[in-house]
Amino acid sequence: MANDREVLREIWDGKLPICFQLHQEDLMDIQQPDPFYVMVPRLSYFPLVTDKMKRHFLRYISQESADNEMWLDYNGQPLKWHYPIGFLYDLYCGHDPQLPWTLTVHFTKFPENILLHCPNKDIVEAHYMSTVKEADVLKHRGQVMSTMQKKDHNQLWLGLQNDKFDQFWAINRRLMESHGDNEGFKYIPLRIYSDEGICSQRLISPKNNDGSRKVIQQLLSELYPNKPDVKLRTHGILIPSDTPLQWLSEHMSYPDNFLHICLC
Amino acid sequence: MSSNSLLFAINNEGKVYALSTSGSCWREFMYLGLEFKTLSAVPHFLWAVGGDRQIYLHVHGLEIPIRVKEESYENERWLPLEGFSGRLLPTDRYHFSSQDGTKDRSIDCIRLPSMAWQWEGDWQLELTLDGQPLDHDGWTYAVDFPAQFGPIKQWKSCVRRRKWIRYRKFSAMNSWCAIAPLHKDPTQEPFIDVSIGGDQIPYASAGTLAVWAITAQGRVMYRVGVSTISPEGLKWINVSIPPNCDIKQISVGPTGLVWALLWSGRAIVRKGINKDCPTGEAWLEVKSPADTKLTAVSVGYNTVWAISSDTRVWFRKGIEGNQAGNSETAAMGSGWLEINGNMIHISVGINDQVFAIGESNKSIYWRSGITPSELTGKRWRTIQANMQLSRTSSSTSIISSSSNPKHHSLSLLNENTPELKTTINLRNSWEESHSAPIENTLPLKPSKEIRPKKNSNIENIDLSGKSYETTLKNPRAWSPVRSVGSVVGMEAQPDSDSSVFDVDSGMYFDEEVSQTAWGTCDATWTFIEAGACSIDTVQIPHWFTDSKNAYNSDITAKWRFQILDSLKSRNMLDIDHNNYGLAIEMKGWTRSCEARLVCENNTSEDCILSLYWHASENIGTLSVFQPDGTIKFILNLGEITSIITSSEPGCPRISLAIPHQNQKIIKIQFTSEMEQEEWLSVLVDITSQINCLSGKPSNYSAWAVTNSGDVLNWDPKSAEHNTDRNGSYTKEFQVFGKDILNGFTTTLHNNFPPGSVLKMTGCLYDDINRFHINLQCPEVQKQRHNIETEVTEIPFHFNVRFDESVVVCNTKKAGCWGVEERHVLPLKPGQEFSIKIICDNSGFTVNVNELHFCSFKHRLSPESITSVLILGPLKLYTLEYSSTSAIIGPDEMIWRMMGGYLRKVECCKNGLVWGISHDHRVWVYTGGWGGGALKGIGGNDGIHAMTDTQTYCVYENQRWNPLSGYTSTGLPTDRFMWSDVTGKHKRTREHTKLLSRHWHWISEWMIDYNTPGGVDSEGWQYATDFPAPYHGKKVFTDCVRRRRWYRKAQNVTEGPWMRAGSTALLDVSLWGNDKEVTVWGVTLAGDAIYRTGVTTATPTGLHWEHINCPHSLIAISVVNDLIWAVGRKGELYYRDGITKENPGGTNWKLIEAPKCSFPFSHKSSIGAKFVSLSQSSAWVILTNGIIAVRIDVASDQRGGKQWKYLTDCELPFKHVSCSEQEVWAIRSDGTLHRRLGVTADNAAGIAWQQIHCGPLVHVSARACTS
Repeated sequence: MANDREVLREIWDGKLPICFQLHQEDLMDIQQPDPFYVMVPRLSYFPLVTDKMKRHFLRYISQESADNEMWLDYNGQPLKWHYPIGFLYDLYCGHDPQLPWTLTVHFTKFPENILLHCPNKDIVEAHYMSTVKEADVLKHRGQVMSTMQKKDHNQLWLGLQNDKFDQFWAINRRLMESHGDNEGFKYIPLRIYSDEGICSQRLISPKNNDGSRKVIQQLLSELYPNKPDVKLRTHGILIPSDTPLQWLSEHMSYPDNFLHICLC
Repeated sequence: MSSNSLLFAINNEGKVYALSTSGSCWREFMYLGLEFKTLSAVPHFLWAVGGDRQIYLHVHGLEIPIRVKEESYENERWLPLEGFSGRLLPTDRYHFSSQDGTKDRSIDCIRLPSMAWQWEGDWQLELTLDGQPLDHDGWTYAVDFPAQFGPIKQWKSCVRRRKWIRYRKFSAMNSWCAIAPLHKDPTQEPFIDVSIGGDQIPYASAGTLAVWAITAQGRVMYRVGVSTISPEGLKWINVSIPPNCDIKQISVGPTGLVWALLWSGRAIVRKGINKDCPTGEAWLEVKSPADTKLTAVSVGYNTVWAISSDTRVWFRKGIEGNQAGNSETAAMGSGWLEINGNMIHISVGINDQVFAIGESNKSIYWRSGITPSELTGKRWRTIQANMQLSRTSSSTSIISSSSNPKHHSLSLLNENTPELKTTINLRNSWEESHSAPIENTLPLKPSKEIRPKKNSNIENIDLSGKSYETTLKNPRAWSPVRSVGSVVGMEAQPDSDSSVFDVDSGMYFDEEVSQTAWGTCDATWTFIEAGACSIDTVQIPHWFTDSKNAYNSDITAKWRFQILDSLKSRNMLDIDHNNYGLAIEMKGWTRSCEARLVCENNTSEDCILSLYWHASENIGTLSVFQPDGTIKFILNLGEITSIITSSEPGCPRISLAIPHQNQKIIKIQFTSEMEQEEWLSVLVDITSQINCLSGKPSNYSAWAVTNSGDVLNWDPKSAEHNTDRNGSYTKEFQVFGKDILNGFTTTLHNNFPPGSVLKMTGCLYDDINRFHINLQCPEVQKQRHNIETEVTEIPFHFNVRFDESVVVCNTKKAGCWGVEERHVLPLKPGQEFSIKIICDNSGFTVNVNELHFCSFKHRLSPESITSVLILGPLKLYTLEYSSTSAIIGPDEMIWRMMGGYLRKVECCKNGLVWGISHDHRVWVYTGGWGGGALKGIGGNDGIHAMTDTQTYCVYENQRWNPLSGYTSTGLPTDRFMWSDVTGKHKRTREHTKLLSRHWHWISEWMIDYNTPGGVDSEGWQYATDFPAPYHGKKVFTDCVRRRRWYRKAQNVTEGPWMRAGSTALLDVSLWGNDKEVTVWGVTLAGDAIYRTGVTTATPTGLHWEHINCPHSLIAISVVNDLIWAVGRKGELYYRDGITKENPGGTNWKLIEAPKCSFPFSHKSSIGAKFVSLSQSSAWVILTNGIIAVRIDVASDQRGGKQWKYLTDCELPFKHVSCSEQEVWAIRSDGTLHRRLGVTADNAAGIAWQQIHCGPLVHVSARACTS
């Protein structure tokens, strides 16, 4: 059960200062627009926090591209909106943190083969809910999500969207409980990304074969027997190697109930 | 927090260990040189078969002693010549008799039942009769014996009697106590098993227990007379068993159901056990599961579990504890169900929780997931608790019990064995264990963990054996034959002995202690007894390492701190946050739902609620629309002063109090309970934010409980904060648009003491004739031809007369004007003006237009002023009132819902708050906020699970008719045949509903055999007609009868409260003084107790100290060293001799009863039912609801001097709470009032002012200070 409120709150309150700059190609005005500074929750998604920024830049771009879908890149690397913001930062800047995180805003040349389209926030919600469901299938064979009402699903989403910790955790707590007979989850919803952003997802049990709690060190030696000094980063910190996996999943999963971890 | 209960087990050395549900360590029972074979327990009572095959009893954990009052009436008859004498007529009763005269109760024949009892003092006379003091001999007089006795001797009084009382106390608490053997020679028929249960036999009177035992000869014995006030019972009686049955084990369930196992592996069940026939009727045989022999059986409430010889576990289906006495199938069940796991012993505890000992590793398992609906549970979980390494666990004792048990037990039985003694103290017990049989031949390696413990204790062990020899005073005394009920060990000494009843924190050990005294060695258990163990399945104890409480170690783990530190440090970047906008801005939000508006006459209409909340401006509105969308009204959320639930079964409701509005209460009914709870939590959250209330309230706040159990808090600090202006408090009254022409009155909430200033500005009309300003006392009711109210006291009357060109100042006293003081006119019609009235110690000063105008000497005390009246043709711009103390009107008192479900709540000036729930359990406020419907409104700190039990009652009424006898056909004028106690309301069992989804029934409908007045064998009580006194025996004239049915329901919620002690209380009173807090309570039995060790740091205190009280009490109040209590018969006492050194005082003294000659009452004296004490006065509620005030109460005059009666209220009161200046009371309609004008000179105050519309049941204003 996720009952270490102090850690949960700390993770929830994690914010990133971001500096948005308009790409030169999109600029139509003679006047150079000011960069747009904003504090963004690490746990949120870009489409949820970029409304104001978009309005800020719309004045400077051509009419025809104003209707185009906006997208972001960091150092030429398009950012996938369906990953949590904090994870994207850890992935691209984790090894060399520089704040504020300077991102470029594009209104043209949508990289069709890299990014998914995101016409509105409903798509984000649909994607988010499906990820939560996937995580629940791994954790509890999907039994918790299926007993929840539509209202609960809404509360989960609105809690995330409106940055409401209590509202969100009132529901998410149920997803983080052990279900039925089992102590701990069946499998840990975990995605580990290499530097190149390549994701690996494997069925990982929170327990060792002898029934004891699996810790990060054991997970790493299981997954990467050849790399002895590999480290894991999430939420901008390195995970101590003796952290139990079950605890990590309960407390340090992103709101989509997955542990998004960068290898470094 | 669940209360502390104990799980008992015996290890392979025969030593008894206990594991507390609030702890996590097995603690050993004091070892007294006696091993134990079997145990059986209910809470506080543990029965065991010792190694000597005799039965022992251990009473423990009771916070107040077991005391029994012995009574005897001394009867005398008046004879001519002799006067009154003990010589009675042959037809009369005994000289010393029971109350009804039927039994001989000579006081020299009343003896202690056993050595376990001690007298408390000598025989004493009862010197009061129904609260009336009697003369010193305590005689009461009557015409003849079966008659009403009165205190006065009259000419016709032929007989008299007086009552002698004496208390005896069970002195063998917390020690093993031997039970008499069956025969003179205890070895003739030793015991092999004992079992206690029966604490929940349906309909049985409270405290009943059932003890069954088996002797070595296979006889089944039942112990007669065992109850919580007679722990060892009276005697054994034999219960016959079928032929060819050789019983080896027996188990009694909480409902009295008895199962026994035969050596042949079969089980038999006793049928027909009920409250009237505790030994049952006959044995029934139950088939064993196929091809197996049962070796152990344990009976629970609705379950029977068994173990077969092949270590398989069996669950018996279909057991119904409540019906087991009447139905064979309910007692026998319907079939066996195999449960996985291999066990060797099993025990069922409270709530049918199951514990077992594993076959392979001999460790103890708990069956998780057992609920009333799923009695078989889910899986076995190992209990992994640390062991307190035994003081006595040495190789020698292992050998003594394993190598030669017979020798040992026999030697114990031998009367002349010099090793035994009556009082074995702790040190000797160590010594003894070392000197116990010494044929130490088996090589046993001493376990590692033992060593440090032994070393640390070595200095305590007296190796010389001297002390041991000298205690052999009476070697014969400790023979079970001669010392029935003798005490085997002394009471545990808290300083020297870490007793099993200590609470250990369970989570964090002192490193040193854990190394020396505790180990994690795997114990091998042979016996488990869970009968006293109550596990809260929601908050399970810290016994399981494989589970959630692994979290406990996580929280202190190094990696967690690493994670937390790095998480915290990532936000500490030197970035100027001002440059950055917030991505998600909380502007505001709305919430709406369909609901119904409940009107005063209980009809309701549809509406749509819409809540709008603007976070940055901290304002919110609640709009109520009609279904067609038109606005009904809009409410500013800042105007709401209290939000409470007012649900009825099936109708989830919330009441909002808005004193500013015309409609002062708005009741909203929601479509579902969930919706109601969500709205409640949102509304409480928002109104608290608007009023800047959060977290723990200040120490000076008032606490109240509504009749739906909500706990409310009003914190004067927040209101004061708003009005404080350089040392004085100022309040501006709303005067815009008020009708001054016909008189504008406004209340001055804290009277008009010296230092107060009233300032007004305005404009006079051109055609003005006269206007006046009255600083007046409250209106009084006048009984003339019809009831009207009139102001009879006006301390200051300021009358400006333009027609006479004069200003008149005067005072009205008792309806008559005094001498006028006239002054020149300072104003002209049509002029703008300002008037300032300043009150000082000597009189009033009036400034007109900033210039001194006149002075007026006080003729009446200015503290009696409660309101100001301005009347005349003028227009007011402002009206400002300044005072030296905070001015808080009822419309500014914001009551915040704190969470939890209680019946009473009492506070004191240190911020300590205690509560009592309906089931009389005691709770202490933790400082949190939220829980239940409020959810995590103020965080989860201090929020604990709470339960409460309430009993629902309905009455079944019947009338006798000549044809069919008693039937449920009444006369047309009769009450409902199923009704409440008054008969005015129809109540049926089927239609009794629970209030909300948090309630559930915990029993079926049952006949109450304990209805006051007595009942017959079917629960009926009879009367001549319906509103008449009921009696239990049917007589010829009885035309009607009734019986009471009851059903218990439990409420499960959370709140910022935790349990304090396990003693049930009727009333509690707190008094705080710096750091020390005095807490006195009244137990259910009516005894006074006080709590030791209560400080602000330890709000729950340590334990209760018991105060002897000859009369049973119902209420208590404490201030400083003053204590008043109310007796059950309405008499009032104060406690004498209380000092710092002797906080319990010396004795109770009777206080002169209030004699209130109130017009509506015919009785000359009325008893008290409640008291609240301040430092100089005592406010007492009488049984008729009138408040009497005892004034001049002081440390040197604890009983006070004089009674005053408040007659200025038409409705009776049900509760009162007072501090030095504040007196708050709840009227019978549930409204809360405060007394205005309470001063040192006028302790009774002047008038009541309503400050909450209720309905409330309890209030505590004892921390409020102006």
